[in-house]
Amino acid sequence: MLAWLRALASRTRAWLSPRQVDQDFAHELEAHLEMLTDENIRRDMAPEQARRAARIRLGGLTQLQETNRELHGLPILETFLQDARFALRMLRKNPGFTAVAVLTLALGIGANTAIFSVVYAVLLKPLPYANSQQLFTVFQVQPEEGENGTDWSFLNFDELRRQNSIFIELAGSQFHQLTLTGRGEPTVVNASVVTPELFSVFGEKPFAGRAFYPGDGKLGAPPVAILSENLWRDSFAADPQIIGSTIELDKRSFSIIGIMPASFRFPLLNEPDQIWIPLVQDPVFGAFMPSRDGHWLRVTGRLKPGVSIAQAQAELDALGSRLAAQYPTENRGWQIRMAPLQQMLVGNVKSALLVLLGAVGLVLLIACANITNLLLTRATSRAREIAVRTALGAGRNRIVRQLLTETAVLGLLGGAVGIGLAFWGVQALSSLLPHGFPHVNAIRVDHFILGFALLLSLAASCAFGLAPAIFAANANLQSNLRGGGARSGDLAIRRRARNFLAAAEIALAMVLLVAAGLLLRSFAKLISVNPGFNVQHTMQANIDLPSSQYSTQQQWSDFAVTLLANVQAQPGMQNSAIVVPRPIADGQVNLAFKIEGNPPISAGASRTADYVSISPEYFRVLDIPLLAGRAFDRRDILSSPRVTVISQSLARLYFSNQDPLGKWIVFGLPPDGPVSRQIVGIVGDVRNVSLGRNPGPMMYVPYAQSPFWGANLMVKSSLRPASVAAAIREVVRKIDKDLPVTGVVLAPEIIDASTGQSKFRTLLLSLFAAMALVLAATGIFGVISYSVACRRNEIGIRMALGASRAAILRMVLRETLSLALAGLALGVPCALAASRLVAHLLFDVSAYDPITLTTVAVALAAVAVAAGYIPARRAMRVDPVIALRYE
Amino acid sequence: MPAAKSEILQGTLDLMVLKTLEAMGPLHGYGIARRIEQISDDALQINQGTIYASLVRLMHKGWISGAWGTSDNNRKAKFYSLTKSGRKQLNTEAQNWARISGVIGRVLRIAERG
Repeated sequence: MLAWLRALASRTRAWLSPRQVDQDFAHELEAHLEMLTDENIRRDMAPEQARRAARIRLGGLTQLQETNRELHGLPILETFLQDARFALRMLRKNPGFTAVAVLTLALGIGANTAIFSVVYAVLLKPLPYANSQQLFTVFQVQPEEGENGTDWSFLNFDELRRQNSIFIELAGSQFHQLTLTGRGEPTVVNASVVTPELFSVFGEKPFAGRAFYPGDGKLGAPPVAILSENLWRDSFAADPQIIGSTIELDKRSFSIIGIMPASFRFPLLNEPDQIWIPLVQDPVFGAFMPSRDGHWLRVTGRLKPGVSIAQAQAELDALGSRLAAQYPTENRGWQIRMAPLQQMLVGNVKSALLVLLGAVGLVLLIACANITNLLLTRATSRAREIAVRTALGAGRNRIVRQLLTETAVLGLLGGAVGIGLAFWGVQALSSLLPHGFPHVNAIRVDHFILGFALLLSLAASCAFGLAPAIFAANANLQSNLRGGGARSGDLAIRRRARNFLAAAEIALAMVLLVAAGLLLRSFAKLISVNPGFNVQHTMQANIDLPSSQYSTQQQWSDFAVTLLANVQAQPGMQNSAIVVPRPIADGQVNLAFKIEGNPPISAGASRTADYVSISPEYFRVLDIPLLAGRAFDRRDILSSPRVTVISQSLARLYFSNQDPLGKWIVFGLPPDGPVSRQIVGIVGDVRNVSLGRNPGPMMYVPYAQSPFWGANLMVKSSLRPASVAAAIREVVRKIDKDLPVTGVVLAPEIIDASTGQSKFRTLLLSLFAAMALVLAATGIFGVISYSVACRRNEIGIRMALGASRAAILRMVLRETLSLALAGLALGVPCALAASRLVAHLLFDVSAYDPITLTTVAVALAAVAVAAGYIPARRAMRVDPVIALRYE
Repeated sequence: MPAAKSEILQGTLDLMVLKTLEAMGPLHGYGIARRIEQISDDALQINQGTIYASLVRLMHKGWISGAWGTSDNNRKAKFYSLTKSGRKQLNTEAQNWARISGVIGRVLRIAERG
């Protein structure tokens, strides 16, 4: 084997520099000749004669050179190159055919390569951590309540960490924005709030300083922080003395102990600027640590080598039961599960990506079918050439090889143009990707992707080239040589093949169009759904309050009152409110509640509703209708009786046959915990989690009674957004110059962004469906055109016998329509099967939506007939005299 | 089959070239051809050019290597020499050859007697 390889290498080397080889050999032979001549002269020959005798003994120079060249060459490659050169010549001679085929293929390859580069980066590429297949997310589920994956409370996590025997280490993480002050303008930094094990779980170390020690996570430990390399460079000018110095986060001093390399990102994947602090130091989550209630800590672990997933899951099941038995109030009904970290990070993007990959695959199939049809058509005109070659002694395999080389060249040309398209496509895709798309920075066309494109081009050329090549090589030699072209069964088989391919293209296009139609209808419904609130002309902004300076609830609510009063005082502000959390933008805070006076419900089962803390004007700012009772007002303050306003669906679900007004319900967040609140009003339902999710029960509390350490401001104003934003910043700066204002953006933009994923997949799938439609139409056009060209004589005879032009037109259109109908018949079951695959991406549209199916079928038939109309017109204009003479 | 026949002939020539290089050290094409003729008492009158096909084959296999040098009478010539793997190969080939030619010789003697 090795010898064989070495021979190949040596041959390749020689083959790459043929002139060198020839020259060397010529020199060598010349030297040989001279030595022989010398020898002859020594034997007393005359110089002339000596030279001639030497030549005779050496042998024919030309022949020797020839043999030498052959010995140095690579015969298979040479035939291939010869074929390839011939193929290029043939392609140049048919520029129309070449352009159509190369473009068709380039579209297919380009789209596939672009989508594959996203799929590769997001789904296939291993995570950028050492032995990333050992990394798992561990989460809690509560199947009875439909809760299928949530985070942990710190105390439960602590139990998991202590009882664990299957993970090398486990770490908890959360994310919080903190205000960095003391270095110029106050800025907001992305703080990853973690337990000390985080870095060792990922097998990463700071490149300067140290990672967290276990002691850093203990209560009372001095505050420490680790910077990301980017933050260190951007905000600290890559200060080499930074380790050991202190910074201020939310007005508290942290000493910097390390710098993480830029390559490490977790739990925030797309943020190059981050800072890591121990959980215990975070003003928000640190306060949650002593509670077993709640689900807020994300847990990642590194599985011990050799432990199987089944083993690990069994261990987690056991721990889940222990927790449920030991702490039934918080853990009854909860189980523990694990999933590969990769899977968790990718989340819901996976299925949409696979659908898109399937879609581009279909587009490529249609493109291949189109090219096959072109080749089949052309094969007829090349039949004579091939017959001559066969007659001159070319074997069947040789012919197939040559034709396949031609298609391979075609495929590679298409692939090359396609790769160009893919580069452009990946750029376009990256700008289209919705906010929060995982692994965005890993999406690029690298050598792996190029290899994929190359393989795909070759596979595609085999797919579209094999059948035509075999057809051509098997053709009837004699009839082709006679020049009349094949008249026998060959032609019928080929026509059937072409018709089948055209019908299949229609069927495939139908699959794509139906899927795209469903997504479009779903998207249209999604963006026109009434969310129950109105954020037009509403600007939002976040102001976080540093906990050291603003530590009491009274301070928080005083700040809110001052803020609102000052904003309101600005000219042009119609209304402003404070809300935590904001609808759509922030997600939900789901809390259990009890109705006072009702019998206690069984333990484990609980009633929950989404909790929102608002200032009195909130309902008016967002146009949420008050249905009964009153909204909050200035009287609802910290010292007055606790009150709440509930949503319509909470009233409907839990107060079905009684008036909820005046009733008391018990719920709350730390630090107060669950307290009794009287229902004073009922408001309309809103879609607070996402547009696609039906409104659930909600309970609102006055911000003054349950304030937060920060405020989400919403301001309605008809002024220009820029001036509203400037006004807000100015107001905040006047209250406290160290408070940063972040997230200043028009609320409708947030709502729009929330449909980004849906928009992304709908847009792309529609694009691919459009490509499929165009390709299928070209396919139909090609087949019918060719059929008309073949039937010139027949049409001429029909016309000579009295057929009207209209009858001819009808005949051709009938042929087109029957093709289209065959395609639709094939397409409907395929489309129905494929719709099941997109069903979970749909909002308010059935996967078997009859309107979509009918519209697509009618539209496809219409497009097919339109594509057939051009050749049909040509058929109609056939002059019988010319057509008959031609025969 | 013609292929088989020429393979044996090629193999024989290759073996002789290897043996010559082993005996003489680095040598150019002319020298090798001359040496083979001499050893065979000029009984083997080959077309000297055929030696080059053999040299290329042996080079491809990595059994010999070639380098340009100067001959006795100051001519530029390509000198071939045995490589390590060529030496090893020569041993096995020579043994094979001895065995085969022994067998053939015995068969021929039997045939003569019979």
